[in-house]
Amino acid sequence: MSTKRSIVFFVVVALLFASTSLFAGGRAETTGEIVLTWPSIWVGQDSKADVMEEIVAEFNEMHAGSIRVIVEPQPDYDGYEDTIRTRLAAGQAPDIFTFKLSPTTAAYYGGNLLMDFSAELAQGWGDNFNQGNLQASTIGGATKSLPYEIGFTPIWYNQDIFNEAGIDRFPETMDEFWEAADKLKAIGVVPTSQMTGGTNSWTSMLWYTHFLGSFGGPDVWERGFDDPAFEQAAAVLKRLYQDGNTTRDAIGADAGVSGGHYQAGRTAMFINGAWYIGNIRDNSPEVYRATQLAPAPKAGNYHGHQVGWLHTNLAAAHTNDPARREAVIKFMQHLTSPENARRVSLAAGSLLAVEFEIPADVELDPLQQQFIQAGNEAEFLIDHMEASMPVDVVYELGQAIGAMVLQDLSPAEFVDMLRAAQ
Amino acid sequence: MRTQLFKNNKNKVWIVLFLLPVGLLITAFFVYPIVFLIILSFMEWNGIQPMSFVGLRNFTDIFANSVFQTSIKNNLIWAFSAAFLQIPLALLLALVLTRAPRGWRFFRTAYFLPNVISLVALAMMWSALYNPEFGLVNYLLEVVGLGHLGRNWLGEINTALPALIFSYQIYVGYFMVIILAGTLSIPKEFYEAAVIDGASVLQQEIYITLPAIRGIVVTAGTLAVAFALRQFETTFLMTAGGPANQTPVLGLFMYRRMAGLQYGRAAATGVLLIVLGIVVLSGLQRVFGKSDAVADSQQ
Repeated sequence: MSTKRSIVFFVVVALLFASTSLFAGGRAETTGEIVLTWPSIWVGQDSKADVMEEIVAEFNEMHAGSIRVIVEPQPDYDGYEDTIRTRLAAGQAPDIFTFKLSPTTAAYYGGNLLMDFSAELAQGWGDNFNQGNLQASTIGGATKSLPYEIGFTPIWYNQDIFNEAGIDRFPETMDEFWEAADKLKAIGVVPTSQMTGGTNSWTSMLWYTHFLGSFGGPDVWERGFDDPAFEQAAAVLKRLYQDGNTTRDAIGADAGVSGGHYQAGRTAMFINGAWYIGNIRDNSPEVYRATQLAPAPKAGNYHGHQVGWLHTNLAAAHTNDPARREAVIKFMQHLTSPENARRVSLAAGSLLAVEFEIPADVELDPLQQQFIQAGNEAEFLIDHMEASMPVDVVYELGQAIGAMVLQDLSPAEFVDMLRAAQ
Repeated sequence: MRTQLFKNNKNKVWIVLFLLPVGLLITAFFVYPIVFLIILSFMEWNGIQPMSFVGLRNFTDIFANSVFQTSIKNNLIWAFSAAFLQIPLALLLALVLTRAPRGWRFFRTAYFLPNVISLVALAMMWSALYNPEFGLVNYLLEVVGLGHLGRNWLGEINTALPALIFSYQIYVGYFMVIILAGTLSIPKEFYEAAVIDGASVLQQEIYITLPAIRGIVVTAGTLAVAFALRQFETTFLMTAGGPANQTPVLGLFMYRRMAGLQYGRAAATGVLLIVLGIVVLSGLQRVFGKSDAVADSQQ
């Protein structure tokens, strides 16, 4: 074989070898079927996993041969956000995905990566949604993500433990709160679950936001860190970490630890959203039955408010292919139909931005009913820190709490740390 | 022989052809990303909208950040611990196992085993061991009457970084195996001659084993320092840089910038991490001489 032939042979073999990888992970769209991939966190142990699987399966059956949605399981919530961020930066938005709309992720609306649903929403589909949530998801006239799950996080408390400690009702003032904390400690129960771990110090971030709302009112985020409410709320948070008011492992703990203490009855108070109902109902039925909800005690001038925000938005990759766009819209309309929203809400306990009626014969989960009631009775809603501040500030919160507690920083120095991260 | 190989034109073609795939891969997955990283470090970019040139601003911003300064310090502590804690430990284990004590094969496997277990699983295990409420560490301290020493190992300022570094020593088996390969290749005749001359075991190790495996130990040390400099997973999973920003490393600092859609600053951190790696590894080579075991054998 001559040198030239050898080279040609070598190049052809190399190209054939390389080309196999191009087809290995390819999509089977040869029959005209449109395949949409959805990296989803609502899989595995998530409370929405089963009902979401049913909804997707039904959609695929209805559109057999023309549209198929493939769910890519992504059970790690923090990892999911990393994946989405990386794929967007690489210009490779997934066909369908979810994200938390915040001052940082609002950047996703820039450029031409996300599909704008505003035209279809204006044709009646938008009526399915809570208009306030829809408005919050519209930036510069473009609705490039659909409001789906609403976060609403009152304080959870264990009525059985409160009874045992001789506390007849949830405290309404801070004096009553510290008095109740002492009574709980006297019977060997840690008053509150706290945590500085994870990407957002979830439980403690929510405690902080509750007290921030009490000191600063509904517009406190807009006034920024110069508002004294930030320091006043920090002082309360610091005390929550001291004197045995939380567990020894709170510094560095993640959401699993924080929730685990409450579910095990080691702590009497905890904060989370309605999506946690399914988890606690399955894993700790006694604590689930004893759980009651309340607004935070009055620490400042305001009381009776709740922490509530857009928790999850649905999004899709922008496409110039009309057929593909139509397929995405069809799936989104299926997912956000009042009927399917009701199914998701009833199955998982979630509160959704999609409005639906609950038939009289359907019995609501008692805790979910409490959530709805607490929402109706709230004096006002305040976004939590993650929905209001850049992600750097949210990351810094756990470090600032740790510094305030371990290095005995003042609340003013705590706020300085957050300000520096801004 | 090497000269003859290149003189032949036919051979040149084949050499180029065989090198081409690897060359392309290195260009695509190493050279291009590094060039892109360097360019990006002078840009402001949120990953969505177009980049804009900002000169050295990313570098000045991160140098002014106290968390960045702590990260550099921690990276150097990690590197130091790798060179002066992990490698001596690995050397000690290798020297003991080379003497083939009873059950040495079992211990060799046992020490190496953590290297084939998921890092995430090990991090979770260590987090559980260190847990102040239910962890084995505090429990054992209580059992031996030292319960007052129990603490939140990963959640206290003075213990978090040492606890992380201690947990990382579980990977000592990797370097032990590398060094063991060197010690086992030393001809037995050297030791037999030393025994006849009346050398003790310690003298045999000092005057025969250590000089013979010097290159391998330096190679293992270089690897250990390189691994330590790119430390991320253990810190991310076990402390996330806390408490109170006491344990961050450059990898984590870079990750945080990316999470905040500050890709320019993340790239600048990456560039500085590369520079730090080059400086530290060059320094090691200068201090300990050539780290290449092959080069040693050619001397």
